[in-house]
Amino acid sequence: MDVWSSLMDGFATALTPMNLLFAVIGVLLGTAVGVLPGLGPAMTVALLLPVTAALEPTSAFIMFAGIYYGGMFGGSTTSILLNTPGESSSVVTAIEGNKMAKAGRAAQALATAAIGSFIAGTIGTALLAVFAPIVVQFAVSLGAPSYFAIMILALLAVTAVLGSSRLRGFASLALGLAIGLVGIDSVTGQRRLTFGQPLLVDGLDIVVVAVAIFAVGEALWVAAHLRRTPLHVIPVGRPWMGKKDWARSWKPWLRGTAFGFPFGALPAGGAEIPTFLSYVTEKRLSKHPEEFGKGAIEGVAGPEAANNAAAAGTLTPMLALGLPTNATAAVMLAAFTSYGIQPGPQLFSSQGPLVWALIASLFIGNFLLLLINLPLAPVWAKLLQLPRPYLYAGILFFATLGAYSVNLQAFDLVILLVLGALGFMMRRFGLPVLPLILGVILGPRIEGQLRKTLQLSAGDPAGLFSEPIAIVVYIIVGIILAWPFIYKLIRRNRPAKKPLLPANSGAADYSD
Amino acid sequence: MSSLATGLKGRAELGVALLLGAVGVLVFLDANGLVTPYSQSDPVGPKTVPFIVSGLLIICAILLAINVLRGGKGEAEGGEDVDLAHPADWKTILPLAGAFILNILLIDWAGWVISGTVLFWGSVLALGSRHYIRDGLISVALALLTFYGFYLGLGIALPAGLLEGIL
Amino acid sequence: MTIVVGYVPTPEGEAALTQAIAEAKKSNETLLVINSSKGDALVDNRYAQEPDIQSIEERLADQGIQHIIKQPVRGHDAAAEVLDAADENDASLIVIGLRRRSPVGKLIMGSVSQRVLLEADCPVLAVKAE
Repeated sequence: MDVWSSLMDGFATALTPMNLLFAVIGVLLGTAVGVLPGLGPAMTVALLLPVTAALEPTSAFIMFAGIYYGGMFGGSTTSILLNTPGESSSVVTAIEGNKMAKAGRAAQALATAAIGSFIAGTIGTALLAVFAPIVVQFAVSLGAPSYFAIMILALLAVTAVLGSSRLRGFASLALGLAIGLVGIDSVTGQRRLTFGQPLLVDGLDIVVVAVAIFAVGEALWVAAHLRRTPLHVIPVGRPWMGKKDWARSWKPWLRGTAFGFPFGALPAGGAEIPTFLSYVTEKRLSKHPEEFGKGAIEGVAGPEAANNAAAAGTLTPMLALGLPTNATAAVMLAAFTSYGIQPGPQLFSSQGPLVWALIASLFIGNFLLLLINLPLAPVWAKLLQLPRPYLYAGILFFATLGAYSVNLQAFDLVILLVLGALGFMMRRFGLPVLPLILGVILGPRIEGQLRKTLQLSAGDPAGLFSEPIAIVVYIIVGIILAWPFIYKLIRRNRPAKKPLLPANSGAADYSD
Repeated sequence: MSSLATGLKGRAELGVALLLGAVGVLVFLDANGLVTPYSQSDPVGPKTVPFIVSGLLIICAILLAINVLRGGKGEAEGGEDVDLAHPADWKTILPLAGAFILNILLIDWAGWVISGTVLFWGSVLALGSRHYIRDGLISVALALLTFYGFYLGLGIALPAGLLEGIL
Repeated sequence: MTIVVGYVPTPEGEAALTQAIAEAKKSNETLLVINSSKGDALVDNRYAQEPDIQSIEERLADQGIQHIIKQPVRGHDAAAEVLDAADENDASLIVIGLRRRSPVGKLIMGSVSQRVLLEADCPVLAVKAE
């Protein structure tokens, strides 16, 4: 089946009244959690996993898609109106966006962010629809050795590239891999790390782990460090743009999209680098460079587009290879597994209708966000006045409810608390959360591929290098691992450059 | 900040290294205790990966300890609602954890409606709300709503506990 | 003696401040400006920001009024903060702004001004926005 007709079938599924309702719920929920402090799309999807277990997988994923895109929309709203970027990817938006808002141009800043997100999201999703099947075609020809190598690459890249300390990233990854080991070994039936506890034999439920790390850990962490001084939200009417704003925005939107998608699609791309690149580019190309730092509309349009295009790009390896590279994608992948759906290149053939309905719903969700949320911006800003005790008590309440409802055993709540404390500790000591989650999700699959590889080669380690793709990937892995040393060598031969971002950009290291 | 406080903070992060090392040793001992005859169909066996993971954990533990002793510091995570200028507020955290543990102890015996009410009410209180009656009403409403929502909407029967027969 | 004024960055709050300045000038007393927040939400538009406070500071200094500006964030509501400040400083007068409220609004939210009026030990001057 070609892409076009599959996609049309996807639209037919996604546009049924029931699924459309889930898309609307998804974008509203996503925007709300994007706006609300302390909540993010990854946490929300994790909290919803148990609730959605009773739903059709298609409906659940349509809702998750809405939350995914909606979260970014809400994130840019708070960056602009409050100068508190919730995610590292909206740090750059806050620089110019908040300046614009302070200069009385909040409506235009929100409008260029929203329309730019819509355009970038739509182009990005179209690229996803075109490229994912191509990646799949390429991927199905790969054997276990190549998969093993690619998964190792994804793990290492996410661990080594993102975050401020590689060492702490690897520590987090190792903890995640250890958590992933718990339970019965699928090949030999041996019990690993169960300590004689029959309740641990089935392994730690990924839902419980995700809820503990994202929701409980976060709620405890924020509760310990609540911001005491209240902030002011800049009052805003309905977002709109004048002719001149359009003229200054459309090129940054397209350039931002061009930066965002490829970076998102790479195994370790993330959205920070493309948003930053887009900002720098717009500053260079702008006819009004003097406005940068004082509220230039290009500095909002470009990075916001890059952010959303990267989000669409991230779904390419997630759907085509089963490799998540950001927190929300990781939790969505966990959702596949909890529905008994095997992620990986077979996904497109085994779950074709589901995947295409998901992609179609990304288009729909994007459109709904623009339609529903442009007029609602002042309402979203009101959400910020929600008293915190209710907000964080609510997170704990629903985290408990969700984790308990999976198996109806109080023991899961003990694990929830212990891993929640771990999540708290990781945030306290700067261990990034994402490598741990990826370790838990990918660890068992990596082990499976490793054993398959050596089974084929009858135990000969040379089997690991038996495919050309695997060798190429190992070379890339080598470069990533050696990068700090290479970088030092380059630096020694060249004087250091000035930083391009203002020093006090309010950068928050936030991994969801 | 006084030198004592910074010294203590440095030591606290050594605890992370200790935890990593302890988990590493635990994984190693557990894997070592597995008995598996060599099998042609599974040359890797169930031990190899745990050994690698435990190695990674122990290496990270050692490197982290060195890093911390040399003055390295993990950057605490910021966020929209986070103010890192003041130290962790244990007067909020401990009662919060207390409400959570109380819920664990109560849930199977007293049922979700009671334990959930305790959890939400206790958490709101720990987080600084002082509207005791309004909070109590919201807690009961939330617990009841989720109980019936899960039962009727999702077909999941949360434990009724003490209120068996009434609900 | 001291005059205590409950300030919020709204027309009612400005009216109260203007009135309080006039009163302080008349009797040559110290003016204590209280702008508090419970601090339980990320955003509280009734909590004045730095530029607002600075302009009040300048305004009071220009008029030669002895003044103290306090912004307590202790989890107490505005009425409690104003009453506390009046008690502590043995105030001769409290000035507050009144907001128009529907009967339902009064029923649900209660009223800061009502509490101040009923519980204060000194005279209370309540003003409306123009």
